Amino acid sequence: MSKDTSTTTNRHIIADAFVTSSGKAQLIGSRCSRCETYTFPKSFTCPNPVCDGSDIATAELSHKGRLASFTIIHYPPPPPYVAPDPFEPFAIGAVSFAEGIQIIGPMTDCDPWDLTMGMEIETVVEPYYTTRDGVSVIGWKFRPVSEERE
Amino acid sequence: MRDVAIAGVGLHPWGKFPNKSWVQMGAEVAVEAVADAGLQWIDIQAMVAGSMQWGGSTGMRAGNTLAAALGETGIPIANINNACASGGSVLRSAWLMIAAGIHDVVLAIGTDKSPKGFFPSVPILSEEPDEPVDMLRWYLGLPNPGYWALEMKKRMATHGSTEEHLAKVKVKNSRHGSLNPYARYRKTFTIEEVLASPMVCDPLRLYEICATSDGAASVLLTSVDYAKRSSIPMVKLAACSLSSGQFGDPTMRIPLLSAVSDERATAPLLSESKIAAEMAYTQSGLGPEDIDFVELPDNSSWHELQYLETMGFCEPGESEKLLDDGVTSLGGDLPVCPSGGFSSFGEATMAQGLLQVVEATWQLRGTAGDRQVEGAQIAMTEVYGAQANNSACILTT
Repeated sequence: MSKDTSTTTNRHIIADAFVTSSGKAQLIGSRCSRCETYTFPKSFTCPNPVCDGSDIATAELSHKGRLASFTIIHYPPPPPYVAPDPFEPFAIGAVSFAEGIQIIGPMTDCDPWDLTMGMEIETVVEPYYTTRDGVSVIGWKFRPVSEERE
Repeated sequence: MRDVAIAGVGLHPWGKFPNKSWVQMGAEVAVEAVADAGLQWIDIQAMVAGSMQWGGSTGMRAGNTLAAALGETGIPIANINNACASGGSVLRSAWLMIAAGIHDVVLAIGTDKSPKGFFPSVPILSEEPDEPVDMLRWYLGLPNPGYWALEMKKRMATHGSTEEHLAKVKVKNSRHGSLNPYARYRKTFTIEEVLASPMVCDPLRLYEICATSDGAASVLLTSVDYAKRSSIPMVKLAACSLSSGQFGDPTMRIPLLSAVSDERATAPLLSESKIAAEMAYTQSGLGPEDIDFVELPDNSSWHELQYLETMGFCEPGESEKLLDDGVTSLGGDLPVCPSGGFSSFGEATMAQGLLQVVEATWQLRGTAGDRQVEGAQIAMTEVYGAQANNSACILTT
């Protein structure tokens, strides 16, 4: 059996959830044109019970937000999570965006123990893991905004 | 609406029982509740059972499985799954059947065996065009306690709660559980021991998160008129609510990836839990000030701190003081989880809402032994389920 070892192919961890077209990663949700409710991942309905809006459009969220909360995961989660070997504790953040929605994602480029509530965060797209047949699975992560990187 | 009585209860000890099937555990508590009420199996007019996902297709139809084991009589049987709040939902359905005057004797039952460790997602059709959201959070790697940890971090930032408070909840509930022969964990812990337990999802430690257990519980409901034939002290199920979440709630809900931001929230944190409690108060005509003790869903130490205010027993940020002052300990003004709670039992999702009601029944009968709440006449229970499921009960003598 021939193996495709090409790493040029990649797959999104969740389809249609983020873009990098502007050069800066942004999450993609949806927005109801009537009540301006944002949803993530994107939805084909408006979840607001008093809104009968049916014009639900894809909407890019702000590149940056604030760290509303975070937790450090100390044990490997079960599949379909793909844990690195050896496993290292990692942080998951809830980031609050100006659009009025908070979204969870893994934290990157930081020491989990240095995170603080309310810190400024930016969205990035990075590899999560590589499958056995060489496909790089990519997705959104969050990292503290650093003046050095700017 | 007719008044509803708890005529009989049954409880299996909780733990891990690799040599005993969930069917046997369920059959035992069913027989126990019927005998407790002084009735016969053939007196049961309807059954509502927890639809147990871990038991495969026969587990999902647990009520029919139990009827086949104990004797089929053609009665209506409904199987319900509302996540960890299934027991409350099961009881609510049975309660409605009696209150509405449709049936006089209805068995509510939950029997469950849980997988070890973090609850995994349940397999689904592979042909669906969209992946179910429950899969998505696992790609990111967020287990259920991680969701609770996110809320606890906020509580610490807002109210100044500490890791010691989280540990104190476990210390208190371990003392209560040590007095309960049905509990899985009966060891008492010190604050130092809890704080030395491994961190799981910061700031929640191993001993501050309930385990996953095997367990079974049953509650036999009758109309109050029917129960008057019995010699057992009367306990009434004065309220049994069921609620779901409300749009605009900032809780990051299992298993979702987003919530409205705290700044834009238009509904309270744990809206389903607040609604369930308020519905129970309305149904019973009672209020938080009338409650003698509470069995709340201490799925984690965060839950106990949050639920005291969500259920209306104190203002936001005051739960820690109630804990510090011993108000919520046995002997205090408002004992919380005198059974030892899920902290001492572990979760058995189909049964845990019924476990609370069994404990409250024994307490109101005055038969709770060493953990008896002296003079208890009015009890409240509330159970929490993933994806915004909740149920609250108020029991009276």
